[in-house]
Amino acid sequence: MSTLLEVRDLSVRFGQTTAVDGISFDLEKGASLGIVGESGSGKSVTCRALMRLLPPAAKISGSALYDGADLLQMPLPQLNQIRGKRIAMIFQSPASHLDPLMRIGDQVAETLRKHTQMRGQEIRDEVLRLLDVVRIPDPARWARAYPHQLSGGMKQRAMIAGALACQPDLLLADEPTTALDATVQKSVLDLLAQLRREQNLSMIFVSHDLGAVARVCDDLLVMRRSKLMESGPVSRVIDAPQHDYTRKLIASHPDRLTLRPVAEASTGAPLIEGQGLRIRYGGRSLADLIAGREGGFVAVQNADLAVRPGETVGIVGESGSGKSTLARSLVGLVKPQRGTVCFDGTPADPTGKGRVAYLREVQLIYQHPYEALSPRMTVARAIAEPLRRHRLCPPREVKDKVADLMEQVGIPTKLADRYPGQLSGGECQRVAIARALAFDPKVLIADEVTSALDVTLQAQVMDLLLKLQKDRGLTMIFISHDLGVIRRLCNSVIVMRQGQIVESGPTGAVFDNPREAYTRQLIDAIPHLHAGAA
Amino acid sequence: MFVIGVALVLIWGLIAAAAPLLATHDPYAIDFAAILKAPGAEHWFGTDNVGRDTYSRVVYGARLALYIGLLGVVAPLVIGMTIGLVAGYFGGWVDTVAMRLVDITVPFPFFVLVLSIVAVLGPGIENYFIALALVGWVGYARLARAEALVLRQSEFVLAARTMGFSHGYILLRHVLPNSLSPIVVYLMTDVTLVILFGAALGFLGMGVSPPAAEWGVMIAEGQTYISTAWWISFFPGLAMVLIGVGFALIGDGLARMLRIER
Amino acid sequence: MNTLRFIAFRLLQAIPVLLGVSIITFILMAATPGDPVRLLVGDRASPETIALVRDRYGLDDPILFQYFTYVKNLIVGDLGASLRYRVPVSQLIAQHYPVTLFLVIYTIVLTLPPVVFLAVWSAKRQNGPADQVIRMLGVLGLAVPVFWLALLFARFFGVTLGWFPVSGFGETVPDHFMHLFLPALSTAIWVVPILVRTLRSALLDEMNRDYVLTGHSKGLGERQIFRTHVFPNSVLPTLNLFAVIVAYLLGGSVIVETVYAVPGMGKLMVDSILARDYFVVQGATLVFALTTILVMLAVDLLSALIDPRVAP
Repeated sequence: MSTLLEVRDLSVRFGQTTAVDGISFDLEKGASLGIVGESGSGKSVTCRALMRLLPPAAKISGSALYDGADLLQMPLPQLNQIRGKRIAMIFQSPASHLDPLMRIGDQVAETLRKHTQMRGQEIRDEVLRLLDVVRIPDPARWARAYPHQLSGGMKQRAMIAGALACQPDLLLADEPTTALDATVQKSVLDLLAQLRREQNLSMIFVSHDLGAVARVCDDLLVMRRSKLMESGPVSRVIDAPQHDYTRKLIASHPDRLTLRPVAEASTGAPLIEGQGLRIRYGGRSLADLIAGREGGFVAVQNADLAVRPGETVGIVGESGSGKSTLARSLVGLVKPQRGTVCFDGTPADPTGKGRVAYLREVQLIYQHPYEALSPRMTVARAIAEPLRRHRLCPPREVKDKVADLMEQVGIPTKLADRYPGQLSGGECQRVAIARALAFDPKVLIADEVTSALDVTLQAQVMDLLLKLQKDRGLTMIFISHDLGVIRRLCNSVIVMRQGQIVESGPTGAVFDNPREAYTRQLIDAIPHLHAGAA
Repeated sequence: MFVIGVALVLIWGLIAAAAPLLATHDPYAIDFAAILKAPGAEHWFGTDNVGRDTYSRVVYGARLALYIGLLGVVAPLVIGMTIGLVAGYFGGWVDTVAMRLVDITVPFPFFVLVLSIVAVLGPGIENYFIALALVGWVGYARLARAEALVLRQSEFVLAARTMGFSHGYILLRHVLPNSLSPIVVYLMTDVTLVILFGAALGFLGMGVSPPAAEWGVMIAEGQTYISTAWWISFFPGLAMVLIGVGFALIGDGLARMLRIER
Repeated sequence: MNTLRFIAFRLLQAIPVLLGVSIITFILMAATPGDPVRLLVGDRASPETIALVRDRYGLDDPILFQYFTYVKNLIVGDLGASLRYRVPVSQLIAQHYPVTLFLVIYTIVLTLPPVVFLAVWSAKRQNGPADQVIRMLGVLGLAVPVFWLALLFARFFGVTLGWFPVSGFGETVPDHFMHLFLPALSTAIWVVPILVRTLRSALLDEMNRDYVLTGHSKGLGERQIFRTHVFPNSVLPTLNLFAVIVAYLLGGSVIVETVYAVPGMGKLMVDSILARDYFVVQGATLVFALTTILVMLAVDLLSALIDPRVAP
């Protein structure tokens, strides 16, 4: 095998900050290299620097020899003969990387028009063939469609078709599956792995997800804070990591995570219960009235759930499954059209009169750490807000109570006067948890709390939640799209799809013996840390 | 640039405050001995057709301009923000009604509507203020509503709701402070426009009535003599440009600092 | 077929707006001080004449009926009569409207080339010296009083240099172009900076979109990306801007027409206000609003044709 790409001392600086610091690696022809790292590690910048796709403010140094020519030095017209033709690229969010006003077929054809002699009917035929290669059904129809008419997975396939159009030697994939649902993610990964084999495509695959990388790559680079930590064959790095950080990264993966034991589920009467919940969004418009339709959109259909004291129940589902809506109905953010919520055996109305008393017992923590805190409130004031507003403790004890809560969730006292913008994502999430704990609630609902966090932080937050549950005897409802996380954290699990509960039961039983095909599909899509799947 | 804007506005504030000290003549004193005098040592900006000193009139005009500009935006700001925030935050019929109101106001060119309201109410600054209150809130309402629509879905507002806080408290403590940036930027532009339109009314004879030392009125008075005594209209107009640029620069600077615009 | 249905739907949606607009002008009319009939027929009219006119405009009916009569009259084009000229308002408007239309279109023709040129230029060199200068011009444009500028232009180009006539509309079409040049220019100088600013930020938004990156990764040149991706996508926000321009220009025409004594809608309106000719004032206000509504409708339909995301 010969070397396709030889990168030496690649550095990227934006003004004072160094985004990539002296990275070197080789890529053999036909090989597939994964670059893994957490947000801000410089992995995407590395990938984009190779194609010089960075904003003008970026200063790139070093060399990237491709076929004997330096990609970083060659004049732009020459580089444009390589971009799209010899080296192609796909991106994280296909929705924004496609031109909304251009038909899919035309966007795929763009590279063909630029780099080949093909014209007219020849191009149209080739586009249909390419769409077929990436397994888009009925290519003739979708070629005429506009991006907004395609699903997320289809858009990414169309991007891939466009990238493959000129049969490039190298495909740069920048987090291509991150924005997709787990099952779609798996099918796109499978497609990439298959294309590698069939077309002898070399690939650089950038991802924060070690499991995804393990699925398509043979070699691995681990990056952290703009530096290269470790490199080597995937199997070697995963099984025998040499660097401390790599070890931590692997240990944080849900597959390898060592958590404190999940509390035993009690057998008592349910503490919080939802019966026959049906939630509809949007009203009935005039057109609906005339057509005799119900109108709006049913987000949750006839859902039952019961959570016993001290238990952790997981709700899983893909985007749009209604899992978050269900959670929100339990804290009164949406009013169910039908069905009842019971707390401690008595009917409760989270939207009505006794709402304040009810909410003292049931608190929800949100997904996006930065968004969940008002940007204009300091940490201490945010935590103190419920204490003061609801007089949960005498005014002169507020300060001590805040300090106590901060200590419980592990935020250093010196951060008390900082604003959310000055904190890291993990710290913000801890503040949000502390704020919820100010109520001393019995039930804590965690809505995708870990999905916006990097794996190592995710592991820390999960550990914190388990610790709090144990210390305080909390009952938890844990909502996530990530089955790997749910499996490690929950006593029982509820699987949702398109607003309906598909399956529920004790975690072990559901994962080992799923009754429904859909559940099996979800379980199969969990990225595992087995090396060399490709 | 932002600093220049602030400086300009401060200077105008000082000029308005210290007008009696800065003026060299009585702005209303008619002097038939000095009619249509060109700018010179005695009359820095010249005199008008009845011999009033243009410089002193421009200096006193700053008082009226700032008075109109700063007071004229208060009612639109308060009404518009209240309607916009409430409509955006609660949605439902409040929103529907407010937005239909906006829909039917938008087709009217702003100045035309102000004019026809003033036509009904009669000339004068008070009526201009009433017209502004009736029409000017629309811009603020649209901005505030757009912000509130986003904020009501934002997690920290949802979190405030799940903490059991009342809607009024959430609107005041969480939604309002976080929706201010674009509104403040718009406010600065609006002050400029309110001064301009106020002067335009004065110019057309429907605002402040003569012989007041109001810049629009002065420009109108100079119109007849524009080919012989250009200074009567020129200096008040220049003053308007300088005060307008001041507020516009502040708005522009804020827009950049708050990252509303690139 | 779908397009037709979409057009029909949009027209239907315009009806409530039209009704709302008519309510506003009706209120303005009803709030007018004094007895409009007295004003209309003069002090020495016989009681019979007064009764006849009161009946025609339904002035003795309850306020709601008065509104219905008003709308009924509007639909047949009866906007009342001018007190000053003793002719139907619709006739006056028919005389003055084309002049303003001419002025507005003339101004747009003068405005668009510099707007597109300056906006593209400053967007492509974001934060460069040219961009900064254009930005400062924008601030200046916002602050300059149009009537003052118009006055200075009249004095300089009209009187000192004698290049252009400074008042009236002229008789022939070439005359019109000469007479309206200064009015159009003064308005343009005021509008150009505002539009440049808006279009520039629309262009910058589009230039920073992810699909531009995709274009680069496909090896398309800078020019091709701008032509095939950025520009078409910038057209949509620009179209929406167009409706705003027209509203601005109509508002500006009121002032500029007065300064240059152009016999258009704006001057008609100002003169009528000063002469307390209320029916004309409200009629003109209504026509201004209707013009904007028509432009907004046209813009909506056009964007729907261009943008596949708006389902026709």
